[in-house]
Amino acid sequence: MSKKMSILDLREEEVMWPGNPACQGCGGSIVGRLIFKALGRNSARVEVASCAPGFMNIRVPSFFGPAFEGAAAFMTGLSRGYKIIGREDIVVAGLIGDGGTVDIGFQGLSGAAERNENVIWFTYDNEAYMNTGGQRSSATPEYAQTTTTPIAKMSRGKTSEKKNVPMIIALHHVPYVSTASVAYPEDLTAKIVYAKELKGFRYMHIFSPCPTGWGTDPKDTIKIARLSVESGLWPLYEILDGRHMKLTYKPRELKPVSEVLKMQGRFRHLNDEEISSIQEATTENWSRLLSIDGKDIF
Amino acid sequence: MIEIRFHGRGGQGAVTAVKILAAAIYLEGKYTQAIPMYGTERRGAPVVAFCRVDDTRIMERDLVHEPDIVVVLDPLLSRSVDVTEGLKPGGLVLINYPGTYKETGLAGNFKIITVDATKIALDVIGRPITNTAILGAFAKATGLVKLESLEEAIKGELPSRIIATNVETMRRAYKETSAQADASGLKQAKIVKKASTAPLISYSRVVSDWRVSHPVIDKAKCVGCKRCWVYCPEIAVSIVDGKAEINYDYCKGCGICSEECLVGAIKMEREEVQ
Amino acid sequence: MKSEVMVGNKAVAYAVKLARANLIAAYPITPQTTIVEYLSDFVASGELPAEFVTVEGEITAQLVCLSGSIAGARAFTATSGEGLLYMSHALHHTARYWAPVVMAVVNRSVRTMQPDHTDLLAQRETGWIQLYCENNQEVLDTGIMAYKIAEDDRVRLPVAFALDGYVLSFTAEPVTIPEQDKVDSFLKPFKSKYPVLPETWDAELEEYKKHWQQGKGINEPFTPFTGDENFSHLTMISWGKGHDLQWRWKAHQEAMMRAKKVIKGVDEEYGKLFGRNYGGLLEEYRCDDAEAVIVAMGTLASTSRVVVDNLRKQGKHVGLVKLKSYRPFPDEEFRDIGKRVKAIGVIDRNISLGEGGIVYGSVRSAVYDLDERPKVLGYYAGLAGREVRVRDIEKAAEKTLKAASGENVDSPVSWIGG
Repeated sequence: MSKKMSILDLREEEVMWPGNPACQGCGGSIVGRLIFKALGRNSARVEVASCAPGFMNIRVPSFFGPAFEGAAAFMTGLSRGYKIIGREDIVVAGLIGDGGTVDIGFQGLSGAAERNENVIWFTYDNEAYMNTGGQRSSATPEYAQTTTTPIAKMSRGKTSEKKNVPMIIALHHVPYVSTASVAYPEDLTAKIVYAKELKGFRYMHIFSPCPTGWGTDPKDTIKIARLSVESGLWPLYEILDGRHMKLTYKPRELKPVSEVLKMQGRFRHLNDEEISSIQEATTENWSRLLSIDGKDIF
Repeated sequence: MIEIRFHGRGGQGAVTAVKILAAAIYLEGKYTQAIPMYGTERRGAPVVAFCRVDDTRIMERDLVHEPDIVVVLDPLLSRSVDVTEGLKPGGLVLINYPGTYKETGLAGNFKIITVDATKIALDVIGRPITNTAILGAFAKATGLVKLESLEEAIKGELPSRIIATNVETMRRAYKETSAQADASGLKQAKIVKKASTAPLISYSRVVSDWRVSHPVIDKAKCVGCKRCWVYCPEIAVSIVDGKAEINYDYCKGCGICSEECLVGAIKMEREEVQ
Repeated sequence: MKSEVMVGNKAVAYAVKLARANLIAAYPITPQTTIVEYLSDFVASGELPAEFVTVEGEITAQLVCLSGSIAGARAFTATSGEGLLYMSHALHHTARYWAPVVMAVVNRSVRTMQPDHTDLLAQRETGWIQLYCENNQEVLDTGIMAYKIAEDDRVRLPVAFALDGYVLSFTAEPVTIPEQDKVDSFLKPFKSKYPVLPETWDAELEEYKKHWQQGKGINEPFTPFTGDENFSHLTMISWGKGHDLQWRWKAHQEAMMRAKKVIKGVDEEYGKLFGRNYGGLLEEYRCDDAEAVIVAMGTLASTSRVVVDNLRKQGKHVGLVKLKSYRPFPDEEFRDIGKRVKAIGVIDRNISLGEGGIVYGSVRSAVYDLDERPKVLGYYAGLAGREVRVRDIEKAAEKTLKAASGENVDSPVSWIGG
């Protein structure tokens, strides 16, 4: 299990250059910075089509493949190649958006997880295809407005639920799966520090607010991430060996989901019925997680 | 044929502006082309868009390299981008500027017209999206399109709930557009592409002129908790002698530091146009 | 020297083993499947020390080879037909990244498992070198040569070598297996030209930055990644002065042109060391005093030799041009042949629907500028695996001879077998 850290435990050394062309208040930029701060410079980074390559000035060998579905393949190839030249010490890390993870990249992700490739897969989830203007992905939450699930007479946003990828990957029985959030950098870093020492396929799914796509004020990025965790919309947990599950943050009482939903333009249209529906689903999910917390689940 | 080039920053609506303009002019019976320039840039980064106007269908498919008119949506943009490059001699520059033509720093064989589009936008819409203000000014400055045509054209481009405020913005800008002035006697201000002060091995760009406001730290209140340091997406905050400090070259003014500071040591202040 | 009666797919596997490829990623598809199985056995037994990645699809297979190659592995994959069409997207990337990956293509048509050349010829835009083989010995030899060509500093492009499905892949014939130490002297161990290592990254970036700012691109700062021209880096660039990526295509085309000489040189060197070579880009068989020649790729070339011999016995002056390299296309060689003959009959085991035979088009284009152009005729044969017999090719050769003698032929392009 990851060991608790405080903000003072976070490394000073920056592994990312400042001055990137990301949007103001970009959650993904914070994610990238924190991940490579924790991994250090003896790592290699893989990215595919997403916001990340266009803006993250990260100071480690970087492999960008415009083959959108190829994240898993690139990570596999680099990892095996490093093994062949005797450099298994280099940590191969993918910084992949939700699109390249849950949709077009899903086949590859499952394949790499099943083969237990020696890589760390970081999904920075802004819950839509933000780089191409904000179309829905299967990581978009139900009812969210996107450019392909607009709000109009015939449409109330996305109709299906968010795909639960962390659990799906856990069922591949990989060494480590966890969720994290930009608002909890100590938790995020502790999990990476732990995962770094393991071998095999490690997966981390990180909540990454997008002010441009979600219609939020850039200054609220962290606040929204925090409220999402505190209302149970984004539970923080880890699963070891696809079996042992542990919540790493347990608010005593969940905040109502309406608080964080109301801050976001993509949920501006929600009526009371829809908010209740989201609240019910969230509360139910949370109690389920509480009931399996600390147990062997699969 | 008349060729127009728009300069703006991502988020100010330059691309939408040329579309509205093209649609409006088409309503008046002319042929138009609206061409955006997309790259991997995002909110705040310089963007360009082009518009062509002619009596017959326009066949050219390349970009506009010698515009007759240049429109600048951001007052600071002309300090880091050569906005008048290729402008035909005797051409016109319409620039969003809170001052007179002499203060813009632009000079050459062309005319200048100014309008404080940012102020108008902030007053009427509440956000610094200057495109409709600039379009209102464009109608007055060039006479190439009627205000009524623009008002009709916006209906096709903007969501219905913001049409009224944008029409008001256009009308006010139309009124507040300056007279035409001659820029040939003036002295051109240096165009400085600010280089990063980061070490040699670096691929940073200076993003300071993307800001609308910037954070100011009250060191007396700062307790060095590092929250602003950890949450800054731009790595613009560092802790020096236990207090937070900001490298303004890299700050985009997102406001996260100010929002996350638990002791109220960081306040956001509006940028001044120098 | 060891010899074995082996199927074409085994010959491929032997080539990979002898070339000491150390990263294998392939997805099974008929009629390629046994290649993957042979290699799996070689690796499992320890005969071939390699990373064997049992990928879940062809795109992953190709992209694993690409990134593995950049990290420093000698990579190999193989596929056929539908698998190659699916992989097409990834092929463009491997070529664009200048990764010297080698791939065996067991030619297979679309909507049938039987052979024709549609699959690989449809990839002619990808920037891969394409070499076609007419028997299992050539398959084994070409597999080894492929790495030498790909990894040559003047080339650094991926190479596909092809064998007709079923006709070669599952037909067994005697093949001589070169000795490992001789292959080792011919093919040195692989080193990635620009490895992605943390300790060299900063220095590489600085060099690359200088390279870019010397007018190859724009002057704005950029985010560096791997994979480009002579540097393993790719940039994401926005509008700016001098924004021009067209040079990348030019650079690639120049490398393709340089490859012609390299392919010929490697073939010659192989011949000296192992006693077998294949003419480089193409082989002329009995063309010296020919009035007409037929052109064929793959196993059709092999059958064509019998036809040429038969007709020669009858006193007819006909020859065969066995086309080995379709990419890069040997237009100079064809121009030279065109000066000497009166008619060329091109046999296409493919068709570019809406236009015509792909090799036919390339040959016609190559001889167009000659002062005295030979007649160029086209024949579709063996599409969708249709059997092509000696007498079928004989008809084509006779018709071509007729054209060479100045007689009228009813249609310059025809289908053999209807």
